[in-house]
Amino acid sequence: MSDFAMISQAVPQVFTLYNMLLIFGGLILGMVIGCVPGLSVTLGIILMLPLTYTFSDPASAIILLLAVYVGGMYGGSISAITLNTPGTNSAIATTFDGYPLARKGKVKKALDTSLFASVFGGLFSAVLLLLCASLITKLVANFTSVEYFSLGIMGISLIAGVSGSSLPKSLISGMIGLLMACIGMDAVTGVTRFSFGSATLKYGIDMLPAMIALIALTQVVQKLRDFKVACGKLDDARKIDKQGITKKEMISILPACLRSSAIASILGAMPGVGGGVAQFLCYNEVRRTSKHPEEFGKGCLEGIAAAESSNNAVVGSAMIPLLTLGIPGDGVTALLLGAFVLHGIQPGPTMFTKQGVMAYTIIVGCLVANLLLAPLGLGMTRIVAKIVQVRYTYLAPVIIMFCFAGAFAATGNTKELILCAGILIFSYILTVLDIDNTPLMLGMILEDIMEQNFVTASMSYDRNYSIFITRPISAVILIITIVLLVSMIRVNRRVAKLNEEQEAQMASEHAKMENA
Amino acid sequence: MKKFKIKTNLVSGIIMGAIALILILCIPSQIRVPAYDSGAPSPRIIPGICLAIMLVSSIALIIQSLVLKQEKVVEFDWEKEKPAILLIVGMCVYIGLMLCIGYVLASLIIFPLVLFYVGERKPGPYIVVLIAAFVIFLLFKNVFNISLPALGLLGGII
Repeated sequence: MSDFAMISQAVPQVFTLYNMLLIFGGLILGMVIGCVPGLSVTLGIILMLPLTYTFSDPASAIILLLAVYVGGMYGGSISAITLNTPGTNSAIATTFDGYPLARKGKVKKALDTSLFASVFGGLFSAVLLLLCASLITKLVANFTSVEYFSLGIMGISLIAGVSGSSLPKSLISGMIGLLMACIGMDAVTGVTRFSFGSATLKYGIDMLPAMIALIALTQVVQKLRDFKVACGKLDDARKIDKQGITKKEMISILPACLRSSAIASILGAMPGVGGGVAQFLCYNEVRRTSKHPEEFGKGCLEGIAAAESSNNAVVGSAMIPLLTLGIPGDGVTALLLGAFVLHGIQPGPTMFTKQGVMAYTIIVGCLVANLLLAPLGLGMTRIVAKIVQVRYTYLAPVIIMFCFAGAFAATGNTKELILCAGILIFSYILTVLDIDNTPLMLGMILEDIMEQNFVTASMSYDRNYSIFITRPISAVILIITIVLLVSMIRVNRRVAKLNEEQEAQMASEHAKMENA
Repeated sequence: MKKFKIKTNLVSGIIMGAIALILILCIPSQIRVPAYDSGAPSPRIIPGICLAIMLVSSIALIIQSLVLKQEKVVEFDWEKEKPAILLIVGMCVYIGLMLCIGYVLASLIIFPLVLFYVGERKPGPYIVVLIAAFVIFLLFKNVFNISLPALGLLGGII
């Protein structure tokens, strides 16, 4: 079946009432979760994951999660603009210009600019995904388990390389994730690994309870801690005025949106780079090429556009390596990979040959979610922004209850709850030791794919382990892995430096504004 | 000792290195070699490689800290961290209670205590807890066909 035929079959599947309602719901939920500081897109996806178990069509489940992702990326900018507190990591750069503009009383203008840029960036990358996915798939169609194992190595190495400031710590985290996934019965040999005679560990650690404990519960506990330490004090949200962005202003920020979307799409398509990294590079690049770089950091529309179009452009482009190679582009797509696996979908080149219509349904769903973000953002932002003012004590117990119910739902066994508690304690220890748990999560998700391909390759080549280096494509992938790893570490350092400079600059400017 | 500094590179290196070493020593007893050869690689390979990388990374962290003097120092403020630790303990008690008396009752006992501890005195969040416990239980039972732990009273709700 040709790509066009598959796309023409996928389009009607997306435009069913059921899927459209899912996209609407996902976008609103994403916006709400994204805009509440302390709740993140990953949390939204994890909360939604158990609900998708009952979906008969896995594509609908992924579309819902993608809508949460898209909505969350925009939602992050609402609190960044109104409270100077980014709702998500990807909205940090939005605070640089969004908050100063809001302080000038132009909250609606800042929010409209953010919405316009988000939609632009999202659509740009979704179209890119639609055009490139099949092309890349054809290029990698001859990959065997040897190459897939090498791709798995690439995925985990790059995430380990770019997340956090310390490579050894990230490697440790990633390896713990792989080891945790090894626990229990080995599917090939039937041998039990690291169960220590415990019935709870004998059948392994399920992915969903682990993700809930590592991401969702850890975040909620930290946020509740902050609530207690701050004695329940909340930041004041600003009132939203009525003066939105004009057509002239919209046209003036188009070059910034285009530049930022293009850079972020390239960065996002590289495994291991997420919106967090892309936003700083894009913001800096747009400022460098702007006619008025001196206005940046003081409420410049171009600055908001650069930050927001970059983080939404990453959504679609991060799906490129996920769908075509089975490698997650960032932490959120790592979760989406988990969702794919939980729903019995194996992303990668075979997906476009065996489940092509489903792959395109997901891509078209992503495109539609970005399109719908525009009217939804215009209509709902004012209401969603009020949620920022809701006391966290209303949300936290409900989230925790939902998390434990979701963890239990994974297998319907009480052992999941015990494991959840154990992993929560372990996650806290990692936090104290300044070890990021994103590579751990990725390690857990990738282990199954990596080991499966490792076993298949080893059996096919009579346990000749040198095959991973002697097969040319595999060797090239491993070399690219090393090159990307080194370059990504450099980029990461540059971004950290830029971040520090920006924050120092913003702090001094805010101090000046406060004094004024 | 309300505040103390943690040299995270050194401490992580020591703790993770020790864990890696112990697990490497445990491999022969924890991962038995299959009785017959199916042609598949040993189930010890992947865990073995992971542990080796973990050990090397831990040593690298210790070298970074002691030799290269590159250290990330984190201040552990007991006053700030105590709520987090108590909340985690609360979550563990919640799970224990859930296994004994069911999801709804455990939620109705633990979350009001948690809210009171974090300083919430308004009735709203307590009412939300009361409603959410029942709603989530019924949602999972009737919509997702998943029965959360319960004592079997009141038509299975409690």
